[in-house]
Amino acid sequence: MGNNTLNAKMISKMFLAGAKNLDAKKDWINELNVFPVPDGDTGTNMTMTIMSAAKDVSQLDENTDMQTLCKTISTGSLRGARGNSGVILSQLLRGFTKGIKEYDELDTVILAAACEKAVETAYKAVMKPKEGTILTVAKGASEKATELANEGVTDIDKFLDEVIKYADEVLSKTPDMLPVLKEAGVVDSGGQGLVQVLKGAYDGFLGKEIDLSINEESATPVANAPKMKAKTEEADIKFGYCTEFIVLLNKPLNVKQEMDFKGFLESIGDSIVMVADDEICKVHVHSNDPGLAIQRALKYGQLSNMKIDNMRMEHREKLFHETGDGKWLEIKTEINGAAEQTPTYRQGDTVPLMNGSTATAGAKEVEEEMPHKDCGFVTVCAGDGLAEIFRSLGVDYVIEGGQTMNPSTEDILNAVQKVNADTVFVLPNNKNIILAANQAQILVEDMPGDKKIVVIPTKNVPQGVSAVINYIPDASVEENTEAMTDAIGGVKSGEVTYAVRDTVIDGIEIKSGDYMGIGDAGIQSVGASIEEVTFEMIKKIMSDDLELISIYYGADITEDVAAKLKMRVEAEFSSCDVELQYGGQPIYYYIVSAE
Amino acid sequence: MSKIAVLTDSNSGITQAEGTELGIYVVPMPFTIDGNDYFEDINLTQDKFYELLGNDADVMTSQPSPDSLMKIWDKLLNEDGYDEIVYIPMSSGLSGSCSSAYGLSLEDQYEDKVFVVDNQRISVTQRQSCIDALEMANAGMSASQIRDKLVEVKFESSIYIMLDTLYYLKKGGRITPAAAALGTLLRLKPVLTIQGEKLDAFAKARTSNQGKTIMINAIKKDIEERFGGVDAHDVHLEIAYTFDKETAEAFKKEVAEALPGYDIHMDPLSLSVACHIGPGALAVACSRKVHF
Repeated sequence: MGNNTLNAKMISKMFLAGAKNLDAKKDWINELNVFPVPDGDTGTNMTMTIMSAAKDVSQLDENTDMQTLCKTISTGSLRGARGNSGVILSQLLRGFTKGIKEYDELDTVILAAACEKAVETAYKAVMKPKEGTILTVAKGASEKATELANEGVTDIDKFLDEVIKYADEVLSKTPDMLPVLKEAGVVDSGGQGLVQVLKGAYDGFLGKEIDLSINEESATPVANAPKMKAKTEEADIKFGYCTEFIVLLNKPLNVKQEMDFKGFLESIGDSIVMVADDEICKVHVHSNDPGLAIQRALKYGQLSNMKIDNMRMEHREKLFHETGDGKWLEIKTEINGAAEQTPTYRQGDTVPLMNGSTATAGAKEVEEEMPHKDCGFVTVCAGDGLAEIFRSLGVDYVIEGGQTMNPSTEDILNAVQKVNADTVFVLPNNKNIILAANQAQILVEDMPGDKKIVVIPTKNVPQGVSAVINYIPDASVEENTEAMTDAIGGVKSGEVTYAVRDTVIDGIEIKSGDYMGIGDAGIQSVGASIEEVTFEMIKKIMSDDLELISIYYGADITEDVAAKLKMRVEAEFSSCDVELQYGGQPIYYYIVSAE
Repeated sequence: MSKIAVLTDSNSGITQAEGTELGIYVVPMPFTIDGNDYFEDINLTQDKFYELLGNDADVMTSQPSPDSLMKIWDKLLNEDGYDEIVYIPMSSGLSGSCSSAYGLSLEDQYEDKVFVVDNQRISVTQRQSCIDALEMANAGMSASQIRDKLVEVKFESSIYIMLDTLYYLKKGGRITPAAAALGTLLRLKPVLTIQGEKLDAFAKARTSNQGKTIMINAIKKDIEERFGGVDAHDVHLEIAYTFDKETAEAFKKEVAEALPGYDIHMDPLSLSVACHIGPGALAVACSRKVHF
């Protein structure tokens, strides 16, 4: 290999370096989200997409040929794809690898053609391609590559350098193409992600020192999130629950038992204090699963003086009292911490008692052989209340996730496989999950068997509820698809959360820590009181022809507070029915629908 | 030509007065409410019934007693000079009254005289069957021919009912497993259907407007696909309701707009149906015209 071509070994190295660089920059990319909502996770989504492929690539033999490498990159990223930008990135990789897989040595002409192929594939995957996004950046890079190849540039170093410089330039112009970016004062986050992949790949080419070992954590962040987070921010609370109790020992612990117990506690958390005498054992541990510690301790005797505190909540309250302080980074960190609490248990994990309801419901879905039926449902939502509502409406499988955690194509695929039905309707309930669901649909088509996925493009929970309610068991798949798709247009919705940074959207100035009511048509209300903001938002989304307002209150709202809001809404809209439901969703204090 | 009496029960929605007018005899359905016996449209009016129901009274329905039924049959055959009786009770899928009546009709004195029709109709569709029977009798058909014809076309009918609440359906226990599954955390307006035998779940709606649209679309589809098409006008179109007549009138207008050119008959639902589905229900039904 000279300076004019790249072989499989180099491509593999560059790909891993690109992935690694994206991983390193993901938090920064997350912050580029236009809406200052706490679920700005383009960086995370893209990283998880590419890491899914990088994990597989890193396990390939050193002498793997180009065909195998390309297939691994393409399949891995497609399966791991999550979020809009993640799906587009996976399509770029798929197209690019299609363009190079037939060759052992790549010159600039082949690379330029592969870039074109990548852009073409990605544009096809998006129903309404929007300029000023990752697509535009990719297209710019591709055009530059073709231009260079046509000019007869054969030196790879020069070629890559110029393509990336141009991609950066296009990226810097994205605010001029998309007014929302300009208003928010950021460049497109997906585009930034792509540029970071390219820059990393270039560094890999240059042989710059990059740790190429890919660890599993980045590919499966939910289960291992604490480790991943540990290196990022100082204010991070790694383990959220302070748990203390006393074990009234059945019999004195022997040395081995004491060591085992301590070792176990160390494996689930930190700040461990464990003191035992012959009768009692005092335990203090910070962990993310208090249930694990409790369950283990029960082996040794009865428990007393139990105390569990949520340290993140305390931390958060403290932060909220400091509004206007501009400490959005800390708030965000705290929220990322909350996301870690999404219960995800790997095989062999002891499911803690405290999450009993979720865990048993989930286990039931997996273990019990479902009776076969014609149509089934898979949906995505965060919050135990919402999950229960969807189950009560007949949804077969609820994927935990949504706002802070977009499930990947593979997550959706796995859920669909667990549903014993010929046709599985997938309700993504989030605009960032629709594309991943569409990918799952395509993957299922290529699989053996007659299983079919139909994605009903629901963008939020109310739309998902509306869709599933409108399902008619006796009607055909086509009729139901139409009826459910129609139904999602008939429900208005709004969500209340808070801003993680100062910004301006739709001419409304928003300060970090402000509460925001976001409706179908953008920001509806902003203020310092959750109730006021919610009430104002409902007023804006309501119209005379609507009969029913449903309010789903989140994990951070008590029933009393929600009931007070309900009464106020009932008084304002006396001709309307108002229904209050516990949603239990994180981050969004209220989700409201009107129909 | 033998003289034929058409007899039904008060589930048909035919009141005693209307029965006299049409020439149809109506057996009142018995109720026990808080321990007291009542007979529909005899000493129990719609208003009185809903008042009691609203007070959460303990409402129990039962079928006409064999004794009362035989008395009516005897009167029609012996005193009023009828040769044969066509008896059209409420659907055998919803009540045992049809099978008891059938058992009685096999007794010697009623054999070849009383013909019990098991055509699984209720309310407005049951009413239409009575009118059809009368027309067939006037055309000279025998009671057994009328019975056979009505049974032959028993599936050519369709009903959709939207409930305001699931409360009464659950309370009465008269609910199929599918319909029971409709009970959920969210407030829903279930749309049920009667196709032949039983009341079954059809769809769900969150608001009454959504429910009405579902019902109109469903009935339109049935007419289009099963009953000769909307333009053929080969069905009788009907609306029924419990308690709230004003809402029903508005619904009637919507149905008339969706299916222009039909005469739409509207009745309150009979009380033995109402006590199981509660006030505020709306129904749209159709039955295919009988050709003989």
